Amino acid sequence: MTETALASVDLRKVYHSRGAPAVEALRGVTMEVRRGERVALLGRNGAGKTTFLKIASTLLKPTSGSVALFGIDVVAQPDRARPYIAVVPQEGKPFFHLCPREQVYTYLRARGLSRETAQSRTAESLERMGLTEVADRLSITLSGGQRQRTMVATVIATEAPLLFLDEPTIGMDPFARRDVWASLRALTQKGSTILLTTHYLDEAEVLSDRLYIVEHGSVLVSGTAEELKRSVGGTLKVTLANGASQVDRFRSFGECVTDGANLTVVVLPHRLGELMELAVRSQLTATVGPVTLEEAFLRAVGRSIDEE
Amino acid sequence: MRSEPALRAFRGTTAFLWTEVLVQKNERLAMVTAMLVQSVILVFVYILNPGLLGVAFVGAILFSTFAMGQRVLNEAAYLRIDHKSIDFYLAGPLAPEAYFLGMSLGILVVYIPPVIVVGVLATLIVPLTLATGLLLLGLAAVLWVFSSSLGYVFSTFFRDNRAIWAYSSLFFNVFGVLVPVFYPLGLFPEALRPIVLLMPPSAAAALVQAAIGVTSLTGPQVALALGGLAVETVAIFLFAIYWARRTVRGV
Ligand SMILES: Nc1ncnc2c1ncn2[C@@H]1O[C@H](COP(=O)(O)OP(=O)(O)OP(=O)(O)O)[C@@H](O)[C@H]1O
Ligand SMILES: [Mg+2]
Repeated sequence: MTETALASVDLRKVYHSRGAPAVEALRGVTMEVRRGERVALLGRNGAGKTTFLKIASTLLKPTSGSVALFGIDVVAQPDRARPYIAVVPQEGKPFFHLCPREQVYTYLRARGLSRETAQSRTAESLERMGLTEVADRLSITLSGGQRQRTMVATVIATEAPLLFLDEPTIGMDPFARRDVWASLRALTQKGSTILLTTHYLDEAEVLSDRLYIVEHGSVLVSGTAEELKRSVGGTLKVTLANGASQVDRFRSFGECVTDGANLTVVVLPHRLGELMELAVRSQLTATVGPVTLEEAFLRAVGRSIDEE
Repeated sequence: MRSEPALRAFRGTTAFLWTEVLVQKNERLAMVTAMLVQSVILVFVYILNPGLLGVAFVGAILFSTFAMGQRVLNEAAYLRIDHKSIDFYLAGPLAPEAYFLGMSLGILVVYIPPVIVVGVLATLIVPLTLATGLLLLGLAAVLWVFSSSLGYVFSTFFRDNRAIWAYSSLFFNVFGVLVPVFYPLGLFPEALRPIVLLMPPSAAAALVQAAIGVTSLTGPQVALALGGLAVETVAIFLFAIYWARRTVRGV
C-alpha cells in the first residue's frame, strides 16, 4: 500500500436536478490524507463536505477530477477500493429491530470477518462507546445519542484501513464525544486513517492532525489547528461588549471582527496592556481569552460556522 | 482466476440474509398480514363458489411468493432511505449482489412459514400428484425470483417511502389479484388471454390450472406462458444483479 491513503485532484461535482438550477457542490478540491492521519473537513452547512465524502467513498460519481484511495482510482475501480473503507453516513441510523450487539456483530460478519473476530470486536467496541448497558435492547428504544454511538461503534469495530465519518458525534453528549475521540485515536495508532467532517470546532482541534476548511465547494485553507490559529495574527482575543461602533480606535492592535454590537480584537500578548487601557478609557467592558479555531474559521470564511 | 470475481459477488449473502432475518423477526404481525389478501379471497371463494376453492388455493400459494417482491421493494427502499443502508453496507467489502440476494432470501425465510401452512392445506383440497405438486412448487419459486428482482429494481427509483406504498400495492394487486391467479383462466375474456399469459403470476397460475385439469391450454398457449415466464424471470433477475451494483453509486 502507498503512504497516501487518499488523494483527490481537482474534484468537481455539479448536481443537476429537474426544475432546479444546477448546484456546483465541489469546485476543484485537491487534497491528500496520509496513512495513519486523522483529517477533518470543516465547513458550514452546504459547503460540500458530504459530497466530498460520498465521492471518495465510492457512493457518488464526480463530474470531473479524480480520487484515489491507497492508489486505487475510485472512479474507475470502486469495487477494488471498497474493501478498504467503512463509512458512518450523515443521518445514518442503526437498524431499529436489532440491538446494538446484533447490529455490530452482523455488520462485521457481512463484511467477511470470522465469528471469533466479530464477537471480540463487537464486545470491545460496545464497551469503548459506553453501550454495554444497552447492548441488548432494540435500537428503537435507544435515545438519539445512543443510536449515533451505535453507528460509530459499528464502523469503528471494522478497523478498516480508511474510515469516513460524516458528523460522527452529532447529538452526542460531551462524554460520548470524548469516547469517540479516544476510539478514533486508538484506531489511527493501530494504522487506520480517518477522514471526518464536523461542525464542532473543538472536535476538529483536539481530534485531527490536520484540517481543511471548506466553503462553497472549495478548500479555503488547510493545515494543523496550530498553523491555522497562528494565521490569525495573534494568540489572544479581546471581546469588547458594544465596541463595534469604535472599531477604528482598535484597528492598530490587530484583526478586528464585529459581531452585532460587539467587537473582537486579536492581539499579541505584549500589546494586551495597552489595549486594555484604551478599553477602560473608552468605557468598554473587555473579556480576554485565547484565540481558537473560531477566529481562524472567521478569518478564512468571513463568517462564523454557525451563522446562516 | 476467471471465476473469482463471480464468486466474490455473492460473498456475504448468508451473513446479510441472517441480518435481514433478525431485522424482520420482531414483525410477527407483518407475517400474518402478508397472508391477509390470500386468506380473505379463500374465505370469499369458499362462501361464493366452493367448487373453485382448489384453484383459489393454487392462486394463494403463487400469490404469496409473488407478493414477497412487495416486501423486498418496501424493505430495500426503507433501509436505503431511512437507514442509509447502501452507504453503510456497500461502501465496504459486502458485494451489492450479496446485499440484494441476502435481503430477498431473508424475506423468503421469514415469510415462508405461513405459505407452507397454506401449501399443506392445499394438498388436502387440490388433487395434486407428485408432478403437479412439484410444478406448483417450481412456479412459486420462479415467481419469487421474478418479483424479488423486480421489487429490488423498483426500490431504487424512489426517494421517498411514502410514494412507494401506494405504487407497490397497486402493482402487486393488479398483477397478482385482478388477473386470473385465484380464478380459472377460462373466466377471463378470451381476447385478453395472451396478455395475461405473458404476466408471470397469471402465466404460472394458468400452467398449474392446466396441469390439474381446471383449464385447457393449447400448445401455443403453454409455450407462450412457459416461454414468457422463463425469459422474463431470467431477464429481470440478471438485470437486478447488474442494477444492484450499478446503483450503489449515485450520479
Ligand atoms: N442530491 C442533491 N441534489 C442537488 N443538490 C444537492 C444534492 N446533495 C447536495 N446538494 C447541494 O450541494 C451542496 C453541498 O451539499 P453537501 O451535502 O455536500 O454539504 P455539507 O457540507 O455536507 O453540508 P451539511 O453540513 O449541512 O451536512 C449544497 O448546496 C446542497 O444543497
Ligand atoms: Mg453533510
